[in-house]
Amino acid sequence: MCRRGPLPSVGAMTNTRNAVITGASRGLGLALARGLAADGWSLVIDARDAEALRTAAAGLPGGARVIVLPGDVTDPAHRDEIVRAAADLGGPDLLINNAGTLGASPLPAMADYPVGDLRDAFEVNVLAPIALTQLLLPALRMRGGAVLNITSDAAVEPYAGWGGYGAAKAALEQASNVLSAEENLVRVWWVDPGDLRTHMHQLAYPGEDISDRPLPGSAVGAFKKLINERMPSGRYRATELVPTGVPS
Amino acid sequence: MSLDVADARVALNFALPPEREAHEPPEARGVPRDGVAMLVSRAGAGEISRHAFTALPRLLLPGDLLVVNTSATVPAAVALPGGLAVHFSTPLPDGDWLVELRQAGGPATVPHAGGSPGQRLELPGGAVLTLARRFTTRLWRARLSTAVLPYLRRHGEPIRYSYVSRPWPIEAYQTVFATVPGSAEMPSASRPFTPAVVAALVARGITFAPVTLHTGVSSLEGDEDPYPEPYDVPPATARLVNLTRRHGGRVIAVGTTVVRALETAARLPGGQTVEAAAGWTEHIVTPEPGSRLLAVDGLITGLHEPRSSHLRMLAAFAGLDLLGRCYAVAIEHGYLWHEFGDLHLLLP
Repeated sequence: MCRRGPLPSVGAMTNTRNAVITGASRGLGLALARGLAADGWSLVIDARDAEALRTAAAGLPGGARVIVLPGDVTDPAHRDEIVRAAADLGGPDLLINNAGTLGASPLPAMADYPVGDLRDAFEVNVLAPIALTQLLLPALRMRGGAVLNITSDAAVEPYAGWGGYGAAKAALEQASNVLSAEENLVRVWWVDPGDLRTHMHQLAYPGEDISDRPLPGSAVGAFKKLINERMPSGRYRATELVPTGVPS
Repeated sequence: MSLDVADARVALNFALPPEREAHEPPEARGVPRDGVAMLVSRAGAGEISRHAFTALPRLLLPGDLLVVNTSATVPAAVALPGGLAVHFSTPLPDGDWLVELRQAGGPATVPHAGGSPGQRLELPGGAVLTLARRFTTRLWRARLSTAVLPYLRRHGEPIRYSYVSRPWPIEAYQTVFATVPGSAEMPSASRPFTPAVVAALVARGITFAPVTLHTGVSSLEGDEDPYPEPYDVPPATARLVNLTRRHGGRVIAVGTTVVRALETAARLPGGQTVEAAAGWTEHIVTPEPGSRLLAVDGLITGLHEPRSSHLRMLAAFAGLDLLGRCYAVAIEHGYLWHEFGDLHLLLP
């Protein structure tokens, strides 16, 4: 046949699945890392806090192949490391852009929002995931992979104080929306996990008791359904994928 | 090239009379979408019969599974000032596309032999297409300055060859299953399916499952093999295929694209059955023993050009002798060829 390659062939595909998860040292990122590792996925995980990340990695289910990369997703050199590590695993099937920042805490009103904090929120929540997606897209297209961006109902609802975070997540959602219209070889999902008992959620409500919120592990089943069934591109709410409170 | 293939090309090197070509959608001839004719061949019995497409529900059995291609046709042809045209065929992982250069000729376009590496073509709407290098005799690897799919939605028109004498809107090229845009040419075997036919099939106990394979430009000129195409067999579909076969049902592919996707997914390393899979496939189905069918029992397809690689795939279902007789019957009884034509159901 007339092949001028190089193109991936069937033989290049394997049955092992590899995921990149950012912000995996705690909260939803860690819960997703645990859930995927338990299902036999190989992982590249990152977080800024190296010690917390190593502790998290040590607690992952045994047998999983995990590459631990402490760093900041806004650092281009760190993103290059992530791309290299994903290639070392054999290529990424899934990128979960989970790392995010709330912005200023306690949450200021838009009227008073320090613009520097707002810029930081956009760097972490919008520009870094877009940049990492750009770098991984060729490999994701090759493997029929997926991009999963973690968003929030704060992207669409006018919650007082959540303007900086919400505006950034809204930007990430629209970037995902356009990406899904441009890319027909990868799935693009942007998912609202619902309110969870996480460090970030505690930062939003300093001093308040948030123990009524479900633990992040409770959302993992919904994510697994989305990933394992390779559902169509689009916006999802974890609570609509499986009933809440069902352990993964 | 093995003897089998050479034999196939001799056996199926028939002459296609121009009046056997469908020049327009059936609706333009006063025939409803599902009103086309369907030839049925049964490989086991060696029998050929003729039916209306709407007879499909009683030709199949409860427990059979129809696998359809959800790829939607994109308006993949872009006309340039001065008579050149670009046909966008297939996306590549790095963002390049395989494209074919065409030039005005006859009622449509003909292949354009020109082009040089590094050449920049100015397309309507301010987009620039840069040719990288030749991929095959006809196809170039090229890069558009903007996202291709949204661009084609605004500036493209459906690819049309000379046997179709005038342009038709993109809706004429969409099937009832079209969901994911990406095919340069219509996955035409499912064009006659209407909601009424699908409902009748479901009521009969026949199930449906989707795959996606984005078809590139067809190999009309010469004896070219298909090139790699992106495909996607979702987990739920893989499960249904395996379940159907385990219980004695038949997996019927609606279109050669579906055969290619499922047979690829049946050949993954370590896989015993059809596995959920996605990527690019270079798998070619032929009547040769090494390419025997592992996942698909039957096929609904159109009528294919003499010598085309599709006929080799059909021979894997029907055998050369029966296939040759089918095409003789189709010509004798006035069946219509190409994407707006009649159908052929190949049963085991």
